[in-house]
Amino acid sequence: MSLVMIGLEIHAQITVLETKLFCSCRGNYRDLRPNTNICETCCGLPGTLPIINKKAIEYSTMTSIALGCKVPDKIMFYRKNYFYPDLPKNFQITQYNVYGFSSIGVEGSFELDDSKKIRISRIQLEEDPGRINYLEGDMNVRNSALIDYNRAGVALIEIVTEPDFTNPKEVRLFLNKLSLTLEHLGVCNTLMEGSVRCDVNVSMKGGNKVEIKNINSFKEVEKAINYEITRQTSMYNRNIKIESETRHWDDKKKITYKSRSKEEEHDYRYFPEPDIPIIVLGHNFVSNLKVHMPELPSQRFDRFVSKYKLSEHISDILINDKKLADFFESTLKIYFSPVEIANFLITEFKSMIEYDSDSTDYLRNMKVKPEHIAELVKMIEGNKISRITAKDILVKIFESGLLPSEIVNNTNSFKIADEKILMDAVESVFDTEKSAVEDAKTNHETINFLLGKVMKFTNGRADPKITMRLINNKLKKPNA
Amino acid sequence: MISKDELEYLAQISKINLSEDEAKKFPQQLDKTIKYIDILEELASDDSNVLDLQEMKFDELRDDVVRMSGALRITKNLTEDGFLRGPKMK
Amino acid sequence: MSGLHNLLAHEVVEGIKEGLFTAEEYVSTVIKTIEDVESKLNSFITLDTERALSSAKLIDRKIKENEDIGYLGGVAVGIKDNISTKDIRTTCASKMLEDYVPSYDATVIRNLKQNGAIILGKLNLDEFGMGSTTEYSRYHPTHNPWNLDYVPGGSSGGCGAAVAAGECTVSLGSDTGGSIRCPASFCSVVGLKPTYGRVSRYGLISYANSLEQIGPICRSVKDIVLIMNIISGKDNSDNTSMSSSQITINNKLDKFDIAIVKELINGGDHGVTGTIYSTSDKFKEIGCTCDEISIKNLHYALPSYYTLASAEASSNLARYDNIRYGFHLPIEEYKWDTYFSNVRKNFGEEVKRRILIGSYVLSSGYYSKYYLKARSLRSLLKLELLKLFKKYDLLIGPTMPILPFKFGEKIDDPIKMYLVDINTVIANLAGIPAISLPVGFSNGLPIGLQMMAAPFEEQKLIDVSYALEKTINIQRRPSLT
Repeated sequence: MSLVMIGLEIHAQITVLETKLFCSCRGNYRDLRPNTNICETCCGLPGTLPIINKKAIEYSTMTSIALGCKVPDKIMFYRKNYFYPDLPKNFQITQYNVYGFSSIGVEGSFELDDSKKIRISRIQLEEDPGRINYLEGDMNVRNSALIDYNRAGVALIEIVTEPDFTNPKEVRLFLNKLSLTLEHLGVCNTLMEGSVRCDVNVSMKGGNKVEIKNINSFKEVEKAINYEITRQTSMYNRNIKIESETRHWDDKKKITYKSRSKEEEHDYRYFPEPDIPIIVLGHNFVSNLKVHMPELPSQRFDRFVSKYKLSEHISDILINDKKLADFFESTLKIYFSPVEIANFLITEFKSMIEYDSDSTDYLRNMKVKPEHIAELVKMIEGNKISRITAKDILVKIFESGLLPSEIVNNTNSFKIADEKILMDAVESVFDTEKSAVEDAKTNHETINFLLGKVMKFTNGRADPKITMRLINNKLKKPNA
Repeated sequence: MISKDELEYLAQISKINLSEDEAKKFPQQLDKTIKYIDILEELASDDSNVLDLQEMKFDELRDDVVRMSGALRITKNLTEDGFLRGPKMK
Repeated sequence: MSGLHNLLAHEVVEGIKEGLFTAEEYVSTVIKTIEDVESKLNSFITLDTERALSSAKLIDRKIKENEDIGYLGGVAVGIKDNISTKDIRTTCASKMLEDYVPSYDATVIRNLKQNGAIILGKLNLDEFGMGSTTEYSRYHPTHNPWNLDYVPGGSSGGCGAAVAAGECTVSLGSDTGGSIRCPASFCSVVGLKPTYGRVSRYGLISYANSLEQIGPICRSVKDIVLIMNIISGKDNSDNTSMSSSQITINNKLDKFDIAIVKELINGGDHGVTGTIYSTSDKFKEIGCTCDEISIKNLHYALPSYYTLASAEASSNLARYDNIRYGFHLPIEEYKWDTYFSNVRKNFGEEVKRRILIGSYVLSSGYYSKYYLKARSLRSLLKLELLKLFKKYDLLIGPTMPILPFKFGEKIDDPIKMYLVDINTVIANLAGIPAISLPVGFSNGLPIGLQMMAAPFEEQKLIDVSYALEKTINIQRRPSLT
């Protein structure tokens, strides 16, 4: 089934903000008792007025820049009028692109990979409504909607793409890259509960567009699209016309179902918000932001390759884990050996980290710090310890937080360079591995086996170079 | 004349129930008002003409600092857990 | 002491400061006046007299201890009931807010309190500010103190009546399309609509937020200035507010160039027209010139006003769904959309009409036809006026084209009612300041002169008004037994 067209409408909260978009209530409403993070303004009490958050405009502009959008010199806000219990004013203050000035970003593009770009239709700044819950309980509770306004008024960035995606994998790639970009900008922590929502529209073979709402995490998006494609394909095969409609994603049943609410029938009666003047950003606004804004993933990648001479493969792995990349650069500040450190982090360190999806601070909470890695790599490069020993030391650092030098002093882990001691080890191995010794005289690979045995005998502390020389010398001797 | 359907539609999107009396006299009254404002059609309009709107500079905007007065307490229809009860959705 | 309720605000402050009378004596006199005449006038929706008396005693204590009592120390103020007052019920004369008690003060209220003003209570209005006679109040109509069978004007009818009758010394009203100037004219008192943005709207319960301003209704120009200097200023809680300079009372008047707007004076009531022309003769007496000019786009002003005001109102009033605040109605047995529609049937007729018109003009298909055209008229009108203000300092005409009329005369025909505002909406559309000054009577009914100036030129309005006020000899107090 060809010609699948998928478009996305993403809502990302600007989680970096301390306050809401139009009032000074806390921006992070999570884990608070209902209806305690509110004020007269975000509850839309009579006579209150919206006062826009300066930082919200900065961050939404940075997002527009990162997604290659045009940013206007002046911006306006509009009212989107509809009635719903989670909307305190029964209108949402948002942006609009039909009349007047454009929203904070339009006509952008985002590189998916070397061959494909996704067009970004628009980016707009708007406010989040409150939350409605339905709980089990007594008659009174079951017969009502339970409303919590703690979230009402939180700043949202809406990102709308053109229907340029042709399969769910592209969508997943896009969302991963977008999350990474948002993380790099510091705009949105996509791991926080409810911080991102994604609506999807899917059409097949040029047919009607079906919109899927209520997808509450990026992880569910691919599943929802796959389900919908299957559903539409089966309908097409049975000659059933696909209606243009809105469907909801049920993340428990893993299906889309036709939405019973009349959301799609609204006439939103957009008009300019009279309480917010036109905001003049000025000609230099964007250029100033570009200078000061955080580095984007693609920029960081280029820098790792050109400045640190890392391979593209290694750079890619680092870039895709921002905290690891940050850790890497912190380590570099202490001991500048980019290739070694990068390698060590990726081969040994990365696999030992417990990625905790809830915690944004999983690296900060570990006992291992850049100082530890810097010292460790320095010791490896200075031939003081072998790589195998380094791995053991790393485990101990994870547990204790002690510096490598402290651990080595305690456990006597330095490399053995003393030839007499090494010779004893070699002799010991030669005694026990007689058949291998014979084999090694003709087969070079078995020498490595013998080396391995010596390393084991010395708990990984034998200096491999010296040991190799001793083994080779002994093999050459006629009575070995 | 504003039709009964049109009036019903307007009342629906504005979420306002009309009394019998109002339903009877509104079509004519609203119609009169609409005819009165029809004169605006004589004006040429320019969509991007927003001369009458104020402007403010980016620097004048509010700083991102938390200020909770704590003065507002919603008291209507609260459950034990602090939720506000609204009419049922389903 | 009698007669204290007839004093002007600046006389009250001076009197208290000089120890001629106490704040308590004065406030008691005002309260007694309310008790005497309120049953005839019905100016108030909510009275807060007990707290007012305690506040008066506090002022007296401060005087004893030589503390500063502020520029309005002790003055009894009435507040239109669409301005948020903390802990005092605020209804907008609507059933939808029957039980609503705000948890915060409007900025203007804070300013008044900081200057020692005493809030007497909340004054009647047309529901949510929509109307020109106060007949659309859902509580009771207010009566004109000059003739009880006649309307006091609107929507700040309670303010006009109360100030004229001495039920308060000064009042704060709001003006969206003439709602300060109309009752000022009909009740023979002074009312000023400031330049849009001069006074903070934080706490003003919105009807049409791009058109309205809070402003004073008082018995003299000096009192207008006193109030304006306290309530004006840029407010961080209102992004549409701007800073302005203080207004002064000047005893010497510069030579001003004034023009009568033909369209405002033609076709009006003969009694009104005659009085306005004879008043304009006085301009020469006080050293000003007076021409006659025409405003080209004036006939589009009223349709444009109603389009924009209704559009904004339909959105501003959407929040009244009785979920967070409002009045008592159980939610069980209702689904949300039928609940909303059922609750909102409690709006009065006129409010419903404007909401429906507002939804109509904003709906897709009609947006460019009405709303965008109305916006473009605003720009055109403002441009034209600014051009005229380069040549003239003030543009004048009668505030109302007609004399006050009897109850029920216009209430069955909305268009008839809308036409009452025909002279006043210009100033709101263009955002310019306008004042109404009492200049005479016809058949015992008051006539007001309206003067308009360029944005932020309130000083010119005050200069001419102050000079004119001194020359006009009219009855200042209605006789209410």
